[in-house]
Amino acid sequence: MRFWTLLRRDVLVAWRKKSGLYQPLVFQLLVVTMFPLGLGAGAQTLAKISPAVVWILALLSTLITFEHLFKDDYEDGSMDLYYLSDMSLPMAVLAKAMAHWITTGIPVILFAPIIGMLLHLPNQSFGILLLSLALATPIFSLLGAVGSALTMNLRNGGMLISVLVLPLMSPVLIFGAGAVLESTLGNSAQGHLLMLLGCLVLAISLAPVTTAAAIRINLE
Amino acid sequence: MLFAPVNLELKPRQLALLSGANGTGKTTLMEAIAGIRLLSAGQVQFSDNNSHTWQHHSHYLGHKLGNKGALTCAENLAFVAQINGLDVTERELSALLASAGLAGYDFQQASDLSAGQKKRLAVCRLLLLNKTFWLLDEPFVNLDHAGCDWLFQLITAHLDQGGAVLITAHDQQNITALAHHHITLEPA
Repeated sequence: MRFWTLLRRDVLVAWRKKSGLYQPLVFQLLVVTMFPLGLGAGAQTLAKISPAVVWILALLSTLITFEHLFKDDYEDGSMDLYYLSDMSLPMAVLAKAMAHWITTGIPVILFAPIIGMLLHLPNQSFGILLLSLALATPIFSLLGAVGSALTMNLRNGGMLISVLVLPLMSPVLIFGAGAVLESTLGNSAQGHLLMLLGCLVLAISLAPVTTAAAIRINLE
Repeated sequence: MLFAPVNLELKPRQLALLSGANGTGKTTLMEAIAGIRLLSAGQVQFSDNNSHTWQHHSHYLGHKLGNKGALTCAENLAFVAQINGLDVTERELSALLASAGLAGYDFQQASDLSAGQKKRLAVCRLLLLNKTFWLLDEPFVNLDHAGCDWLFQLITAHLDQGGAVLITAHDQQNITALAHHHITLEPA
């Protein structure tokens, strides 16, 4: 099936290029080491800010990977190959966003507990942290697809993507970091997680169509 | 408007040569016909009324070759085949690459190829997809003598089989001799 063909190709390309895989993780590790230095603080202060910091790091580290989501295909001409094929464009977008999630989102999810540990995140919150990121990282990839498609023919589109996409991501951050914060206080995070799930459903249904429209605008 | 109005009716077994000075819009016109750029005026029609979209019958080979550097030659071709719903075996791809002078390059990443070899890999797609109508934008650039001869033979064979070709090519005497139509773009 065409969907899997494109998905497999993108995962393979990301795997061969490597840099996209570890870039977000290196970024997170570098930034997180700055916090104890800057705050000069003990475990208690770090634990207090940890839900927000882990979440902001996950968000920002994903943000730096968006630029090449569609730009590479646009520049080497391989976009024309699926654009002109029988494959529906929103479907192609969904395949590419899913490949981006597999190669960026999953590593970020798996890496989050390490960041959490470095920041003394309370033990009872790790489950909620993983769950909230599992719901949110696909949203990141889908929103990133919109921003990436809008800027694919610009030379320095990276900054513009941040400006376009960050406002859309702020609800995700609020509910995601909120869920982890509630769990550190021993409260139920269910409400926040359900809101995240709602955001995910909204992103899956709207982002592919929006991205496809952005690609058409930029190609034609 | 980029260039003065042009009109072309291309029949099976015919080749049209598109020429014009640099910057007159040859590539723009090619891309518009291929369907990756919007025509601000005019239209492209395919006479077979059963076909709704013209793109199903054409393949465009432009300046952006469409090879993925991180993929091997065989993977590049397999991707194009699968995305177009074709089933090809590894052996068929290998034979196709060999016919393009890329024997033994099956598992070489496309980024490692020379400019001419990259072009040969892109030309393989024309043979793989076997569309009726070929849109070729400067296909001879970067090819060596043997490569030019090879591509010229492919074009004549394609015309013999009932295909049609729209091409831009500089300094290709044999293509000029072959052309049934000659369109020159003039600035508007």
